[in-house]
Amino acid sequence: MPMMDEMFTEAQRQLNICNACRFCEGYCAVFPALERRVVLGAGDITQLANLCHDCRACFHACMYAPPHEFAVNPPEILSRVRLASYDGYARAGHRPGWLRAPAWLRPSWPRPSWLRPAQFRAPTWSRGHGALAVAAVGVAAALLLLAGLTAGISALWSHRGPYQVISYPALLVTVLLPCAWSAAVMLRGVARYWRDAHGPLPGPADWPALGGALVHAARLRYLRGSECSYPGGNPSAARRRLHAAVFWGFAACTAATVAAAFMQDVLGIGPPYPLLSVPVVSGTAGGLGIIIGCAGLTVLKRRSDPEPRAADYGLLAGLGLLALTGMLTLLLRATPAYGLVLVAHLTTIVICFAVAPYTRFVHGVYRFLAIAADSIEARHAG
Amino acid sequence: MAPAAPAGTGASPPGGGPWDVVVIGGGNAGLVAALSARRHTRRVLVVERAQQPMRGGNTRHTRNIRCVHDRADGFTTGPYPFGELWRDLCGVGTGPGDEKLAELTVRESGAVPAWMGGHGVRWQRPLAGTLHLGRTNHFFLGGGKALVNTYHRAAARMGIAVSYATTVDDLMMDGDRCTGLVTPGGVIRGRAFVAASGGFEANIGWLRRYWGDAADNYLIRGSRDNDGRVLAALYTHGAGRAGEERGFHAVAIDARSPRFDGGIATRLDSIPFGIVVNSTGRRFYDEGEEIWPKRYAIWGANIARQPGQIAYSIWDAKAAGLFLPPMYGPAQAGSVSGLAGALGIDGRAVAATVAGFNAAVRPGGTFDPARLDDCATTGITPPKSHWARPIDTPPYYGIAMRPGITFTYLGVAVTPQARVLRADGTAFANVFAAGEIMSGNILSTGYLAGFGLTIGTVWGRIAGVEAARHAHDG
Repeated sequence: MPMMDEMFTEAQRQLNICNACRFCEGYCAVFPALERRVVLGAGDITQLANLCHDCRACFHACMYAPPHEFAVNPPEILSRVRLASYDGYARAGHRPGWLRAPAWLRPSWPRPSWLRPAQFRAPTWSRGHGALAVAAVGVAAALLLLAGLTAGISALWSHRGPYQVISYPALLVTVLLPCAWSAAVMLRGVARYWRDAHGPLPGPADWPALGGALVHAARLRYLRGSECSYPGGNPSAARRRLHAAVFWGFAACTAATVAAAFMQDVLGIGPPYPLLSVPVVSGTAGGLGIIIGCAGLTVLKRRSDPEPRAADYGLLAGLGLLALTGMLTLLLRATPAYGLVLVAHLTTIVICFAVAPYTRFVHGVYRFLAIAADSIEARHAG
Repeated sequence: MAPAAPAGTGASPPGGGPWDVVVIGGGNAGLVAALSARRHTRRVLVVERAQQPMRGGNTRHTRNIRCVHDRADGFTTGPYPFGELWRDLCGVGTGPGDEKLAELTVRESGAVPAWMGGHGVRWQRPLAGTLHLGRTNHFFLGGGKALVNTYHRAAARMGIAVSYATTVDDLMMDGDRCTGLVTPGGVIRGRAFVAASGGFEANIGWLRRYWGDAADNYLIRGSRDNDGRVLAALYTHGAGRAGEERGFHAVAIDARSPRFDGGIATRLDSIPFGIVVNSTGRRFYDEGEEIWPKRYAIWGANIARQPGQIAYSIWDAKAAGLFLPPMYGPAQAGSVSGLAGALGIDGRAVAATVAGFNAAVRPGGTFDPARLDDCATTGITPPKSHWARPIDTPPYYGIAMRPGITFTYLGVAVTPQARVLRADGTAFANVFAAGEIMSGNILSTGYLAGFGLTIGTVWGRIAGVEAARHAHDG
């Protein structure tokens, strides 16, 4: 994989300069972790890349940043490695032959890249968005068909709760299938990442380190140390706060879902739920948090300097759509539009969950693993 | 020349009449002078030679500052009283240039960390591998470019204008007064001027005056803009000299480093763990004389005295991992003569040197890189006093080294008010100096880590305040 080699060689070149300089040691966990390593292998570089939170403090502090001839830009090269690592850990090494379609079935037009066989490749926003659109139309059509077959197509215009549109078991299967698939792919990725970045499984002695890692992750410790230096190189808490809005918004939405399931399956109270109920309040707060956070982060990203960019709006757009369609189902639940909005929301859920392991949705998983591995390693180093 | 509006866009001209204070140079000393002047006067301009991304001169390559302090704080490990810094200063090179000015610098250094913090500078613990500086020096978060960025942010908040990509070629003088600065884009007029434009180390022609052809083989670790243009202009207009003309600070750096601006990443720390030979394959200096932080600053001059101003650090597999990996990576071979071939020097000569060295290593020593150990040579010249182990374990490694010049000491003489003195002993009326351009008043030779920034900050403050005062009082 020549492109991979080139990327790791470049990361190695830059990080060697960083290791000889060390001015940025106080900014985040990446530089102390780098200093614990004399030789940088691919696993080391992957770990450092996932430990980097792209705050760019080091880029703005670097006297070797472009236009200097050393052209050091750790956030940029580490972003590239990081995105490629999401891809690499999500995909199987080789797709077995029997899974491949016979030649006559293979389309003659170029396939969307996310359908192409395993390659370690940095994803970009433009990549596969045609395919996503096709998938969205397909899933939506399937859901409409499902609704038509189970409840009759006129149920779409009723507004008496979700199960009038799609029956509960059908809905459960529709959502759980992509979830289970994603979970399986991510778990395999987790195992492979941990083997590459750290090695031994954590034992009881590592529990304090893991606890510390949880706290660091929840408080976004490494977006805090120096405050993010973008846009414009001025330290600002904007990115950390917006990220917190998305993170806790997502947590609130998850809590809303769990609460709804509890009310329905344990207490026997079916939807729709009143405005002052846990699912509605928590879901609304979470949805608003996600929408505000995603919008703000998109603006920040667009205004950030082009230099260290590894911009990818896919995650923000996906999360934003999830929250937006979710809010719409709540707002429009008493109108004839409800059925269609629900279908749109479910479509978003199915697609986002199904593609999660192949997109930056997984960054939270690998970030946490990187922080955990680093905590353990730092404790061993004393 | 297009001095920027206070917003610092670099686009709009300053407009209006003369500036109150014009600071030549946007490194530490210049920015400190501008910030200090702005407290006392309104219209302050910083003239920066570089484009915005490369602003800050040699300050970009700094990382800590040496100041007097009474007690440990979160970032230093213990007190560093006046008397101790004074003794350290006296122990360097030939000692202080002007004792009165040196004493003033040390005394005023005590107020510097708080002043820096007040302008937004943040601190960090001493960097790994710099424990020997942990008590005496404060490290600022992110290093020198972060420091420069911080001061520029403060300058923008205070409405100080910055003119980027502006070279000052000369000063327009009227008797003992400067009326303006000559730049390619026109004349910048002002009431008072601060020269904070650094030394002349990037001017190879000027170095040749003192070092001859050897200067062609020197690499310059800092900004290529430090060509001494303003210093030369001041001399032309009669400024007095301070500092040793051959005084410079030079360390051993990788011979493959760029001619300018390689900074800290190109330095080599391998010397105490092996031997150093010159281009004839012979050793020439005790590689294990003292612990490395105390000796690394002499190796630039050591190499400058060798034929072709080049030398080769050689070590074997036993020493790998004992020091930071060099950024370009070493040459490597399975035999000593093979390594010499890879380095482009005479294999037989190097093999003979290594054999002689190995035979002279006194057996039975206990190698300890953390202290002055008892591994030494006997009956060989020059000796290796510590960390001497036979070079006998392949693979063998080597790197060609050249002198890397950090800064020069020759500058202008100043009064305790930072006013530039003329050779006849009288002072210019409205020309002040701060930083490297006047550091020869305080240290004429030698090197004290972090003290260049101390000089720049202390004298930047003095020069800024005095210049602003002059702009008002005439």
